[in-house]
Amino acid sequence: MSSTGHAPTGTASSTPGTDVLRIAGLVKRFSGVPALGGVDLAVAAGEVHGLLGANGCGKSTLIKVLAGVHLADEGSVLVHGDEVPMPFGADGLRTRGLSFVHQDLGLTDAATVLEHLALDHVAAQGTLRRIPWGAERRRAAELLARFEVAVDPDARVDQLTPVQRAMVAIVRAVASQEQLAEGGERRAQLLILDEPTVFLPSADVGILFRLVDRLRQAGDSVILVSHDLDEVLEICDRVTVLRDGKNVGTRDVPGLSRDELVELILGVKIGAVTRPADGTTRSPEVALSTRGLSGERVRGLDLDLHPGEVVGVTGLAGSGIEELTNLLYGVEPLHGGSLSVRGEDVARPTPARMLDHDVVLLPADRKALGSAPRLTVLENMALPFLKSSFKGGRLRWGSLRQQSQDTCVRLHVKPADPAALFSSLSGGNQQKALLGKWLDTKPAVMLLAEPVQGVDVGARREIFRLVREAVAGGASVLCATSDYEQLVQLADRVLIFAEGRVVDEIAGDAITKDALTTAIYAGAAA
Amino acid sequence: MTTTTTRPAAASGPSDGPTAPGPVKLKTRREPERFALIGVWAIVIIIFSLTTDRFLTEGNISSMLGSQTVLLILALGLLIPLRVGDYDLSVASTLGISAMLVAILNVNEGWSIVPACIVAILAGTVIGAFNGAVVVKFDIDPFIVTLGMSTLLQGVLFWISDSATISGIDVGLSDAVLTNTVLSIPVNFWYAVVLCAALWWVFDYTPSGQRLLFVGQSKDMARLNGISVGRTRFLALVASGTIAALAGVVLAGTTGSADPNSSASFLLPAFAACFLGSTTLKIGRFNPWGTFIALYFIVTGTTGLQLLGAQNYVQQLFYGAALIIAVILSKILRQRNDRRLQNDARQAASAEAAQQSTNSKDIA
Repeated sequence: MSSTGHAPTGTASSTPGTDVLRIAGLVKRFSGVPALGGVDLAVAAGEVHGLLGANGCGKSTLIKVLAGVHLADEGSVLVHGDEVPMPFGADGLRTRGLSFVHQDLGLTDAATVLEHLALDHVAAQGTLRRIPWGAERRRAAELLARFEVAVDPDARVDQLTPVQRAMVAIVRAVASQEQLAEGGERRAQLLILDEPTVFLPSADVGILFRLVDRLRQAGDSVILVSHDLDEVLEICDRVTVLRDGKNVGTRDVPGLSRDELVELILGVKIGAVTRPADGTTRSPEVALSTRGLSGERVRGLDLDLHPGEVVGVTGLAGSGIEELTNLLYGVEPLHGGSLSVRGEDVARPTPARMLDHDVVLLPADRKALGSAPRLTVLENMALPFLKSSFKGGRLRWGSLRQQSQDTCVRLHVKPADPAALFSSLSGGNQQKALLGKWLDTKPAVMLLAEPVQGVDVGARREIFRLVREAVAGGASVLCATSDYEQLVQLADRVLIFAEGRVVDEIAGDAITKDALTTAIYAGAAA
Repeated sequence: MTTTTTRPAAASGPSDGPTAPGPVKLKTRREPERFALIGVWAIVIIIFSLTTDRFLTEGNISSMLGSQTVLLILALGLLIPLRVGDYDLSVASTLGISAMLVAILNVNEGWSIVPACIVAILAGTVIGAFNGAVVVKFDIDPFIVTLGMSTLLQGVLFWISDSATISGIDVGLSDAVLTNTVLSIPVNFWYAVVLCAALWWVFDYTPSGQRLLFVGQSKDMARLNGISVGRTRFLALVASGTIAALAGVVLAGTTGSADPNSSASFLLPAFAACFLGSTTLKIGRFNPWGTFIALYFIVTGTTGLQLLGAQNYVQQLFYGAALIIAVILSKILRQRNDRRLQNDARQAASAEAAQQSTNSKDIA
């Protein structure tokens, strides 16, 4: 394999002092509320620049503005010193030599590596061109060799390991921008990596970072969006931290300590929001219990849920929290371990079996999994009660309608009209209706996955109230969320996940935003 | 716009805590489109009865209603897999196989008519079960499975019949389905009406009907709600196979013979009736009475045109056009309906917000 002989020459065109990307005073408002309140960011040629911040700090909004998903309201953006007129258009700054690799990588499972690379190359030259497969194969092999990515061009994407996939996505993103920059000398490119490591086994992160380093050697720049502070400290030259849509600072990584970084991300301590005492007591009985439960990511989980408590589960993306509720509800098969409800062993859990044991799930994907948007509110809410209201050879729609109407009124679902189309309700009202449906079944265990995602503040508060009421009534609740702020108001104890395992547990008044953040980042580092 | 009624009584009256928000009464939704097809049907009937004097005769009405019963039964069976979001393209061939089995067993093998009919219907059940098993077991798109099954059955049909029409089926069957009349309409029409009513009841008034509906909307969502998606899809295909075979028995009785060439022509009209029916009565949903109306609308159109001297091919023109127009219409109607419901919900929400602000003013 040829060594990277071209490394020093690649930087020739970018004159020292010119930043590849310079953003000044970028503002983006969503219906009047600023998500970005004047962000400044400068990325120099040949640097890896970390972009950090807590959930909702504006990182993803910033990336989406650059990618052309959102249009910025104010501010200026310079690429290689040239001001880019706004708006950027649908391709964002891709036409200016920026390339993006998002968490999902954007690869197609059934196509080969060669097909991915050839498609970009040939499609850039016209739709109806014949693809010269021989030449494309040589080109793909040459590209992969140059980045020292040991992948067979004829391998299908679904045959690759996660880290190979990530590297193919990066090579592809960089290569597709190279063609656009052709015609003259090669200019330094900017690659934006949006949380590329969350789905990688930690041993493979180093492989990916060698590729990032190779890009840096070639004079290209990389923006790395990550939650993992240790990774950031390992690979980045500088970091910029955002908080509440504003810069809180850009620092050189050499000499920067982990604690300083955490302080930058968290900022001033936020007044402790605690859960109001509502006199619920955790019962010593066990509602749901697992021993050695394992799935795709979750490893050997021992968990006991008691009636009268809300157990929060949180961690970084990829820590296994996304999978946990699906495992407990039998949506995904268990790879190992056992699951029992109120002392009764559930051998092969399926949603139907879990429902029989009074376990319910409010899934994160409300539109696709939680509801049938094209049916009415009544039909959606009646689903668990079909069997019980089938009397005298027919469904008692009258009493079902009354029940769903009553529930809608009680839960302040607006409009409280069972005949309304489910999709005509707002996100918060949909979630309240679905919660109401399950609450009416008097569940023993409620599993909530991201229960207030896309829900407005008012409905959020009501959902918390309803969940606490159910708990006061003796239900047991597990709430899995990456937006851990809500757990401060909701949970009696919080389990911190990292790498599929519980690494920490915080209970009672100790649950604060700071404590959770520290525990999550500490867990990810461990 | 009328303002929301303020409630002076509530402000001055004995306070019983915060007023519970009363149920918001939306204005009753009128969806005139639901009945559009019935209106068009009525117009078509009026036009034909004015332009031809043979149209509104007892004989013609009776023949229109009676002659398409086989198609109606077939379409009703097809509704069940369509309701769960699956296509069954093998219904017409199943119908052909069933009719042919009746003829072969009764005429060639000398069986008496009742066991011949029972075996024919069971054959439909087996075909449906095979379709369903392949679809569910291997998770294959039923479109492909039933397409293959359809062609395979056509082959079997020509094979077992030696590509010849077999006639001379026991007249008992003809008596049972055709010759006897109620209100001067052949009795098989009433069988189909009973089947239609039964299906309507199952769809709208039983848990099974709701399960079919939810599986058709979203299989993942249905599964999370404890519905056995695989079993539901399997049983839907079994039901359509069985009902298609039933239609085959009725066909054998109506014609007194079985022709290996005749069954294929039933497929498209059945789909046309189902899709056009989904634009009627319950917009965007496959429903039995809508299918009933759609079918007889098409029959009225083709019969009238033929009475006016149109050639036989007008049937194909009419059926094909009806299918295409039906899918376009149902798309448009659904979108319009959604928009209107969205608006209603928004209005109700803002009205409620306005009411709340007046309430809080009252308290203040």
